[in-house]
Amino acid sequence: MKHEVEAVYPDPARSWIGAAPIRFVATLLLVLLVYGFSLYFVDFDVSRLWSGLPRLAHWGAKAWPPDIRELGVLIERAIETLAMAVIGTTIGVVIAAPACILAAQNITPSWLLYTPMRWFLNTLRGIDSFIFALLFVAAVGLGPFAGVLGIGLHSAGTIAKLWSEAIEAVEPGPLEAAALTGANRLKVIRYALLPDVLPNLTSITLYVWEFNVRSSTVLGVVGAGGIGQELKNSVDLLDFARLFTIILIILAMVTVIDQFSAWLRRRLV
Amino acid sequence: MIATVSPRDPVIRIVGLRKRFGDRIVLDDLSFDVAAGEVVAILGASGAGKTTLFRCVTRLAQSDCGQIFLGEHAMRTLGGRQLSIARSEVGLIFQQFNLIRRLSALDNVLAGRLGAVPTWRVMLRRFPHRDRQLALAALDRVGMLSYALQRADSLSGGQQQRVAIARALAQQSRFVLADEPVASLDPESAKSVLSILRDIARERMIAVLVSLHQVEFAIQFADRVIGLRAGRMIADQPAAAFAETDHRMIFAT
Repeated sequence: MKHEVEAVYPDPARSWIGAAPIRFVATLLLVLLVYGFSLYFVDFDVSRLWSGLPRLAHWGAKAWPPDIRELGVLIERAIETLAMAVIGTTIGVVIAAPACILAAQNITPSWLLYTPMRWFLNTLRGIDSFIFALLFVAAVGLGPFAGVLGIGLHSAGTIAKLWSEAIEAVEPGPLEAAALTGANRLKVIRYALLPDVLPNLTSITLYVWEFNVRSSTVLGVVGAGGIGQELKNSVDLLDFARLFTIILIILAMVTVIDQFSAWLRRRLV
Repeated sequence: MIATVSPRDPVIRIVGLRKRFGDRIVLDDLSFDVAAGEVVAILGASGAGKTTLFRCVTRLAQSDCGQIFLGEHAMRTLGGRQLSIARSEVGLIFQQFNLIRRLSALDNVLAGRLGAVPTWRVMLRRFPHRDRQLALAALDRVGMLSYALQRADSLSGGQQQRVAIARALAQQSRFVLADEPVASLDPESAKSVLSILRDIARERMIAVLVSLHQVEFAIQFADRVIGLRAGRMIADQPAAAFAETDHRMIFAT
């Protein structure tokens, strides 16, 4: 018995870039084409940025020192923004809870409900809270209530989608075992599924809330309440010292919320 | 109900069971009985059809022809409500335990009462006193009472499997089907799990059907051994009479 390798194995062909040259050139051309068109469509023009720089610098100079005379009002508006995120996210949760049961493949009662629910949720998710808020300002008037409704609808889609994905990732074994003891669907969901996914669902909700704090800072621009409204006022009046204060407040608020939510989520899972 | 069953009455009865996937025959004319209080081991290499047999008995899969009786339930023809009543009398033990990981051992045993307790009680997770007592007694029986409040995922494999047996006890099953219950356990835990299975079969007149791939466990803990190879029964005899030749036949390649 010999143990040397006797057969001659053909060396698998390799090219220096890992793919056939024609495919490489074609890919390169396609990428260049996409960039060419995109730059053309956005009117990309470095010289305009260059000539605008002195104006930005001038505004920056005017922003110092930040104007803190209205600090009390501005902080109140920041709290309003936080409250909008809390209530909006809660509305999202209330809609998402029943929706995600229909939209999770492993627990949906029927495909006839699953598919339309998926479409509905995708629609909610596809329309930004900003756009919803725009519509609600027209429907229910200016103010944070319109913003809350906008955040609620958009979040419902996001939360339900993320929740149903978390539910679909659950091990099927324990659910099957519970179902085979003679438990009905509701009992299985409550007893075998919920305890397993609850930390995940809570973590997702916190993440969406954190996102909503950021997105509700701009809702004021369309008149839907919160600190964004003050931001728009200052820009309109070219009051850069006040604008600077507002930006600092937003930055502080978002940083604190992000850290707090991340800390909570780490403790959960 | 349990007291009226006398030993040797067949309570699991399989007659002429066949199952094929496409043109591959997975179960080929299986017939055997399991009596109340008896432990029957199904011995076979992987792919011999053990899991398919279990899935057919619980109707997770439908067999092509033959008959399956669990007590008075004709499993092949039941549907809807009747099927779920029949299933609630079957305790299932899985290789991967299938406990609800984040719940305590006690809560997992209480899962065996899910079929018997009204839905609103399950929603609030408020089980009646009697059911909780039943669950605690079951935990005590498998030697896990002192772990009652520990989370399932903090227990060792052998401990988890004992909790799963307690779940079947709390369910007051007349039949226990255990599909490779010790395949992912170390030998010591495996022996303790199998001896508990054997003891509860005797005490409560439960018919136990257990699939294994270790001959020595089958001989030590079962009353009868059925050899399965490529879907055919090639041995059915008392464990004591199980011989080396049977072993070779079952596992020959």
